[in-house]
Amino acid sequence: MAQGEAPNLAGRTGSRGENVIILANGKTNEVSQRTDDTEALWLRLGELPDATSWQMKPQGACLGELCVPLPEDKREEWIADADDWVWFCYSEFADMIGQKHVRDGDVWSLGSVPEVRRSGLENAIAPDFEMTDRNGSTLRLSDLRGHKVVLFTWSSW
Amino acid sequence: MYESIGPDRFELVSVAQDSGGPTAVDKWFDRASPTYRCVVDPTHEISSLFGWVNVPSAAWIDENGQIVRSNEGVYPAETTIGFGLGKVRMGDDSFAEATRDWIERGADSEHVWSSRELAERLKPVDDDKLLAEATFKLALHFEAVGDSERAMKHFAAAQELAPDNWNYQRQGWTHKGTGYALLQMLKRMNHLRKTTDKSFYDPTGLPGENHHRFTEPEWLWTPAVRRLKQLVSR
Repeated sequence: MAQGEAPNLAGRTGSRGENVIILANGKTNEVSQRTDDTEALWLRLGELPDATSWQMKPQGACLGELCVPLPEDKREEWIADADDWVWFCYSEFADMIGQKHVRDGDVWSLGSVPEVRRSGLENAIAPDFEMTDRNGSTLRLSDLRGHKVVLFTWSSW
Repeated sequence: MYESIGPDRFELVSVAQDSGGPTAVDKWFDRASPTYRCVVDPTHEISSLFGWVNVPSAAWIDENGQIVRSNEGVYPAETTIGFGLGKVRMGDDSFAEATRDWIERGADSEHVWSSRELAERLKPVDDDKLLAEATFKLALHFEAVGDSERAMKHFAAAQELAPDNWNYQRQGWTHKGTGYALLQMLKRMNHLRKTTDKSFYDPTGLPGENHHRFTEPEWLWTPAVRRLKQLVSR
């Protein structure tokens, strides 16, 4: 959406800009946010992929192959202009898709996306992940396709 | 297990799930001198992705990336925790034997789950557990940045939302020290043993498994005590 088409978030009562820490998918990102008088979480569209892994596309908000169209009556409500940026009301979107979120001060923790979890369980495809191993190499589970894999967790406690 | 089955026959990925990060787990890795892939997972991402609630847990993933089995309470060999009369013996050879069979026979292994078993076992989690997961991650963040008060608050909230999730319990207890965590764990295991038919881990159903060992102190498994228990139960 072009910036000029969006309503002006800065005009909303109580809106203010600040940085926020987003915990999602094992990553921690500090990004800009705006808070309106409902204390909702507004993120810059451009920072959405880094902060949440979601990306806005013409067909809606997309996470990998999963795309969720924004409800027609919410588009203008959830996408807004302020400070020369386009902002997306992520917390309301998360509520719509059933993604739990918890906030304490300037830290927001986003839970699993239920649809991703459900579809993964239905077809029993091992969920992919990427981590750095102890030798400093990138370990991506999907790179091990073609081999049998035993994935094993343990802890010191 | 990795060496005896054959390193060129499968990939073993060992995930140290510990909010203490490398500092907490490196000595264990160093002691094992692993030749397989090892990662440290301080935010419990793997357990979140696979729906695991305790350690150790393991999944078998076939060449196409399909999960064909996923269990908690799997040890490659017998081990013990605790001390004195509270010493608990954990694990047996059943998982290593079953893994060897799967590596040999693939989909023909009797230990591979059917699609019905997969559907039954890999269940979706409810709203409370999803909220618990987000809350637990918040606790881990505050622990990592040294805000103990807020970490404890969110650990407690996550533990209350998902009381059956041992990862949340045990990692949260560890925030107060490893000794405290061990005592809490033994206390809770003792409570389980006395009040429910649940064990510390769900049974794997593998031949040779003895999951009751996970909640009963080692002295209960001495031959004399076992014989006495058999006589009393007649």
